[in-house]
Amino acid sequence: MSPSTALSLEDAKSHLASIVGDDFTDLCDDTIAVAPADAQEIAEVLRFARGNEMAVTPSGGETKTGWGNHVTAPIKLSTRRLRSVREHSWQDMTCTVEAGSTWTAMQAELSRHGQMVALDPLWPDRATVGGIAAVNDSGALRLRYGGLRDLILGMTIVLADGTVAKTGGKVVKNVAGYDLHKLMTGSYGTLGVIAEVNFRLHPIEEHARTWSATAVNAAQFEAPLRALLNSHIVPSCVQIRAEGEACTVDVRVAAVPHCLDEQAPLLEKIFAPLSLTESQEEVWHARQELFDASNAMIVKASLLPAEICSVLSELQRHAAADGAEMHALAQANGLMTVAFGAATDAVITAIEHLRHRARSTGGSVVALQLPDELRARLDVWGCDSDALPLMREIKRRFDPKQILNSGRFVGNI
Amino acid sequence: MLSDNHIAELRAAVGEAGLITGRSQLQTYECDGLTNFRVQPGAVVLPRSTAEVQAVVRVCARHKIPFVSRGAGTGLSGGALPSEGGVVISLARMNRILEVDLANRYVVVEPGVINAHVTQRVASNGYFYAPDPSSQSVCTIGGNVAENSGGAHCLKYGFTVTHTLAVEVVLPSGEIVTLGSRTLDSPGYDLAGVFVGSEGTLGVATKVTLRIVKRPEVVQTLLAAFDSPQAAGQTVSDIIAAGMLPSALEIMDTLSIEAAEAAVHAHYPMCGGLLLVELDGPSSEVGTLMHEVRSISEKNGATEIRLAQSDEERMLVWKGRKAAFAAVGRISPNYIVQDGVIPRTALPRVLADIEQMAAAVKLRVANVFHAGDGNLHPLVLYDRAIPGQEELALDLSYRILHLCVDNGGSITGEHGVGKEKQEALGYMFAEPDLATMQLVRCAFDPDNIANPDKMFPRTRLCADRPGPYTPHPLETAGVAEIF
Repeated sequence: MSPSTALSLEDAKSHLASIVGDDFTDLCDDTIAVAPADAQEIAEVLRFARGNEMAVTPSGGETKTGWGNHVTAPIKLSTRRLRSVREHSWQDMTCTVEAGSTWTAMQAELSRHGQMVALDPLWPDRATVGGIAAVNDSGALRLRYGGLRDLILGMTIVLADGTVAKTGGKVVKNVAGYDLHKLMTGSYGTLGVIAEVNFRLHPIEEHARTWSATAVNAAQFEAPLRALLNSHIVPSCVQIRAEGEACTVDVRVAAVPHCLDEQAPLLEKIFAPLSLTESQEEVWHARQELFDASNAMIVKASLLPAEICSVLSELQRHAAADGAEMHALAQANGLMTVAFGAATDAVITAIEHLRHRARSTGGSVVALQLPDELRARLDVWGCDSDALPLMREIKRRFDPKQILNSGRFVGNI
Repeated sequence: MLSDNHIAELRAAVGEAGLITGRSQLQTYECDGLTNFRVQPGAVVLPRSTAEVQAVVRVCARHKIPFVSRGAGTGLSGGALPSEGGVVISLARMNRILEVDLANRYVVVEPGVINAHVTQRVASNGYFYAPDPSSQSVCTIGGNVAENSGGAHCLKYGFTVTHTLAVEVVLPSGEIVTLGSRTLDSPGYDLAGVFVGSEGTLGVATKVTLRIVKRPEVVQTLLAAFDSPQAAGQTVSDIIAAGMLPSALEIMDTLSIEAAEAAVHAHYPMCGGLLLVELDGPSSEVGTLMHEVRSISEKNGATEIRLAQSDEERMLVWKGRKAAFAAVGRISPNYIVQDGVIPRTALPRVLADIEQMAAAVKLRVANVFHAGDGNLHPLVLYDRAIPGQEELALDLSYRILHLCVDNGGSITGEHGVGKEKQEALGYMFAEPDLATMQLVRCAFDPDNIANPDKMFPRTRLCADRPGPYTPHPLETAGVAEIF
């Protein structure tokens, strides 16, 4: 949506300033940055935007603004003033957090009672609760604790027409009404602005150890990984890192200390003849490091869990044949992050091949970080769902004037 | 009412053998597990395939005939109650397990597959299907998906939605779509997440991909007897505070223990509050943690602590717990099963309030809880033969739900809203919340034919523009203000 010609940006800015205050409104490079203080102010900003047919981009820590299709909007709605942990019912193991809180700030507050939201997203120091929910980010802990759809109990959301709605609740078990928070999670800000999130909490993993083994090819991990997941060991995280001609598997187990001691020899047996060594916690930063490498092209592949070793092995082979720089990280649940060093034709071919491979068994590949010049050549989402018309209808019902991040999501929703 | 033409079209969709129109046969489908609401449908169809479901739904869509999907009819909130003169789509004949993929830990089933049969199919390979509603030996996966069913073990393992990867759905328009996928995070809105628990109001599930879970190395079940449910409740809080996540934490009060004993002789200790703790996982860890559970129980005054010594003993313990609802029939001629949720810490306060409220109207309430996740099942006992007592009991059961909401909880943890709790949903959610849910409903079912008149407190049409305040353009432009 292009900005309405009826209202100048200066006029729009002064109106928005009357809602949120002068100090929290800024006009810079044809974008009005506005930072409401609460859900009611978000509602007023959205009502104003909708009334004037001005597009809005909800914004948190701006760590993932490049994900999805590229969209521009005259209004950037920041959640930076909504950053408190409003309630931590530690005995009930639940909390309510404002969307603009950074992940790290929230976890610091929860850790006072030895608890956490059991998720390890990217850029935790800067990324916000709302932004992480909007893109449904998750890391290695998902294997044991599930993703955001399993951890979010409820939300306060603000729709494009200014409706402030609550969904779900603050209790772990609740089947009253539709779970709209599941609809909002991963919707890339196209249906509403997340103002507040209720989480279920877990105890911090007090005693955890990580073991690693290396091999030249990911295929060598296939049998031990199957044996590990069929054993009675309950790992918190399992990842395989592949780069060039080296591959490492990392296994993290959390339990009471003497159980960890008992499990170490079991793990060694599972991975034999590969040798298993104890690793530092830092190995779990590997996914973040892929994203931190400058100019990397990054895709997320969703595969069947049993496919990851063979797919990694193929990726390694192709990269070696093309002389391409490729780093990949796969989690045992089938989610894989692949980073390519340069945007060459061979890389485009590799991504298309990977997408074809994933789709053949019901999976998908989404490009997360992509240079602008390649966006015209590669469908970022690659969504072939027969439910796309239904998704479009949901968007139409929630945001008929298409002011919220329109075009950013699958099928240009 | 269905016309002869409608019936003929339905017959063409499912064949003579798949159609029921005889009055006496239709009676079977008048109600589900909530038997005090009864409505006779115009016809019942028993499709055998997705294509037949689609053909039936297309007939309904063409003529705007309301339809209600039905599994085993064990639901406790009236979700499968027919619409007057409408069509009931029974999925009972779609009961095949279509695919088992152990390497990727999923199974694909038709909606009429019985919950327990999923576990039976994969048990020899060391797997199980985790959601275990008490009716699991008869209830179907389709019904579980509609209600987002839980069970005693969802504290650790989650609900139906946690274990549902994908659902093939016949939309109310008759189109077939697949929501979700076998892999995680398929691109697009999480419509599988929204569909699970939508109580048949968004379409008919015709194929479900379920996650299966590796069976833990050991399972231990402990019974601890306390003088009161409050003391048992405190023990639950202390177990959780110690950082443990048991696979189940159940509490039964004296009345429900009596009932369960009378029905299945589970050899429960007679006491004011019986706590059942189940831990599972690697054997050394379970042993260590169970030791801790024992000492927490002792600290809270447990008068007897008993560890089930064999799988048979453990099964008997669970048989008693799972039979508790029906068993109450042995100590009271009639009863209402309620299903509310509260934050765990509100348990002592809410129990005291329920006791007071029951005493004020001279009724008895038996309590069974999934205590770990705050899910209460108060059983309001009454005698229909005594004039006015049923009304009193119903009123009390609804007031208990309000009490749950007032304490920060929910009106339903696993039974669903259905017909029974429509008004209570309006107590829990404000008008803008309900209007937002309605946006989803209208996107799926603009003609309001899929299980209409359920869940929402009042009938809405998709053309309605309820709820959100829409300012006048002059107001938006700052020219006028409304006072």
